[in-house]
Amino acid sequence: MLDVKSLSKSFGGFAAVNGANLEVEKGEIVAVIGPNGAGKTTLFNLITGVLKPENGKVLFKGEDITGLPSYEVCRRGISRSFQVVNVFQRLSIFENVQISILSRERRTWNLFTPSAKLAVEETIGILESVGLMGKKDRTTGLISHGDRKVLEIAMALGGDPELLILDEPTAGMAPEETSRCIELIKDLSGKRGLTILFCEHDMEIVFGIANRIMVMVRGGTIIQGSCDEVRSNQAVQEAYLGGSDAC
Amino acid sequence: MTKNTLGGKGRIVGGALLILLFLSPLFLPRFYIYLVSIILLTGLLATSLNLPLGYGGIFQFHHAVFYGVGAYGAALMITKSGLSPWFGFVVGPLTAAFLSLIMGLICIRLSKLYFGMLQISLGSLVWIIAYRWYSFTGGDNGLHGIPVPNAISSPNGAYYFTLLVTLLSLWTLHKIIDSPFGSALQGIRDNPVRSAMIGINVKLHQLVVLVIAGFFAGVAGSLFIVVDTAVFPDMLFWTLSLEVLIMCLLGGWFTFLGPMLGAAIIISMRTFVSGFTDYWTLPLGILMMLVIFFLPNGILGYIEEKLHRNLIEQTIKES
Amino acid sequence: MDLIYAIFSPTLMSQIFVGLSRTVILFIVASGLSLILGVLRIPNIWHGSLYMVGAFMTFTISGAFGGGSVGFWIALILAPLGVALVSLIAERSFFQHLYEREHLMLLLLTFAFSLVFGDLVKMVWGMQYKSVPVPQIFQGSVHLFGGLPFPLYNVFLLAIGPIVAVALWLIVNKTKIGKISRAAAVDREMVGAVGINVSWVFAFVFMIGCLLAGLGGALVAPTVNVSLGMDHTLIMEAFLIVIIGGLGNIWGALLGALIFGLAQSLGILIWPQFGIVFPYAAVIIVLLLRPTGLLKSTW
Repeated sequence: MLDVKSLSKSFGGFAAVNGANLEVEKGEIVAVIGPNGAGKTTLFNLITGVLKPENGKVLFKGEDITGLPSYEVCRRGISRSFQVVNVFQRLSIFENVQISILSRERRTWNLFTPSAKLAVEETIGILESVGLMGKKDRTTGLISHGDRKVLEIAMALGGDPELLILDEPTAGMAPEETSRCIELIKDLSGKRGLTILFCEHDMEIVFGIANRIMVMVRGGTIIQGSCDEVRSNQAVQEAYLGGSDAC
Repeated sequence: MTKNTLGGKGRIVGGALLILLFLSPLFLPRFYIYLVSIILLTGLLATSLNLPLGYGGIFQFHHAVFYGVGAYGAALMITKSGLSPWFGFVVGPLTAAFLSLIMGLICIRLSKLYFGMLQISLGSLVWIIAYRWYSFTGGDNGLHGIPVPNAISSPNGAYYFTLLVTLLSLWTLHKIIDSPFGSALQGIRDNPVRSAMIGINVKLHQLVVLVIAGFFAGVAGSLFIVVDTAVFPDMLFWTLSLEVLIMCLLGGWFTFLGPMLGAAIIISMRTFVSGFTDYWTLPLGILMMLVIFFLPNGILGYIEEKLHRNLIEQTIKES
Repeated sequence: MDLIYAIFSPTLMSQIFVGLSRTVILFIVASGLSLILGVLRIPNIWHGSLYMVGAFMTFTISGAFGGGSVGFWIALILAPLGVALVSLIAERSFFQHLYEREHLMLLLLTFAFSLVFGDLVKMVWGMQYKSVPVPQIFQGSVHLFGGLPFPLYNVFLLAIGPIVAVALWLIVNKTKIGKISRAAAVDREMVGAVGINVSWVFAFVFMIGCLLAGLGGALVAPTVNVSLGMDHTLIMEAFLIVIIGGLGNIWGALLGALIFGLAQSLGILIWPQFGIVFPYAAVIIVLLLRPTGLLKSTW
């Protein structure tokens, strides 16, 4: 479904992403791991149009989407959550998700219908599935960090994506919130059939739910393979897992 | 907060105010009718600025250009062409909207500060052309004695026309803010990266907002002609742009009626202070400083915040 | 031969030199504005008022010392210093508390100050035009360019311009505080992290910038009617110059001032009624081609 070939991007001489490769098949859950500064978020930014790559290609369902702006990438069926929470602070939780849906339906050019009446059922549906229904009218500037990260995912769902990219979805969450988030991700993959690409630091989570793992070090791909393949790979063990058995 | 938290009580106050406004020519002396007319159209101007500013997060530094162009467009249409004056009232806002489109196309590819600066440059050019072109625009004197249709040429007539057009415009603007477009706009204000990521073409939405804002600024300019039968180059000068910005800030730039309130306060202040002394800009400057330091969300913003906080505390107590 | 004479005609050359003297004033004021914008990220609308205050103070101080040449020289020193002092007080009392907030608030605060000072000038000096006499050494003209007179005072301005430019360049590039300011313009957190008191660096830069505004006002005083409203037109022109030159770039301010000043004088020569539009049109052309300014900006 998603095919990333030799993607590169430098910032003033520093190669943040250097010839990265990635493959995601339909229905899979793929994880990207790597030490801090390996370029995972930059990679996601390059795929989703937040940044333009200097070299390489990104193919989605066979179509070349390299360098397209974010909103075009979204319209083709890729949605994303951000590592540093990126929501609409002055609006309520309900409105945050609603806008996502309205955007997908290209309704944002509607200037005269009160938006309060539109896409209500679908918004409620998404909010219920992520467990934020009870707080739907709270201003997002005021909710907890964990809730905000879940809201990120909810907003991404509003776009009815085929591929969901999650950038450190459980970062900064309390243990209970984390397990709820994991369950949610499993649900999205299992029940909804979404293809999921994510990156994480918590190895337990990664080995727990990922079908395949891609390992990044210093902007490049070392290996992409199944959990076992990655675990037993020499280079990975040296560069990242420190030679110890981390699962 | 897109919804007005004032709710039921607000409606009563609003309704009473509307009734007062409709009845005022019966009990207010002529000068005050003129004053209220000016407040209404300036409030409309400020509200039109607040669409890109407070709801869109675009720092529109030179909104007065569209006001002035709307006024000049209407005035020139009325005085120079042979057509009915009513055409002028349509041509004015359309000219302003068109100019807004052109300027938007040029400026929108730039980030915040450069956008504002380029706008100021373009606006200054328009100002200086109007200021110098004696034969066409009346130069630094402007145009006076513009023939307004008889139906609305009396002070009361002008007042009711202004009131109706302002109310209609405000109603339209409010509808726009409540619509999905308005929601998208606020999303862009809060987080343009996020907005793009959920499929919103940010630049295009911003361009449309600017054109709408320009249009309604032009409407305000046309209304000025009805009330004052004159236009001056000052209407295009950057000091007016900043004054209108202050009105939005003073009243509350994240609220819908804030700019209107700000306009009312500042114009009233100016009129009454000027009655006593020549030094009107000093109190305005001091008022600005007070707002910047103590009331950054404006008066209505402050009230809304307090009400919101009370609401939250109430909910916590109840649960 | 005739063609060359026509191109370098006395009128043209004379106009060019007039434009250049105007450039000097614009450059001095714009460089101060550019400095403040580049290092402190403040679009300082108050700058125009300080220029006006500099001119009015020159009037008063030179009058206090007899109104002759001596008075002017003293004023040329004291007026900018007075302006600098006022700006320092304002910065420490008001501006520094807003650095963490949005630029819009700082811009509006400088606008508020310009409103207040506009009235203060009116209160102190009244509404009438004031005249500052040209100091004796510079009275009269020199006859260049085929007999057309060129005021000696303007020659003085043409000499002052490069001196100020070089002095400014030295301060910004060769002194320790200049280097710290440039670093703070790029990364104020880093500068703070190495233990330098960024706050006082900002105060210093702000003061120097405002001093330049006052100096511009003092220098322009003998050549124009010192009046209310000089602040409004000048600040608009100064901002445009800074924008086309590149934010925070002193040489950019010089280049911008040159373009602006020359476009104005040449424009008036070619099309007297609308000549004054030329600089604005030039600004727009530059911005369409290079939106971020001709030279590198510090933003």
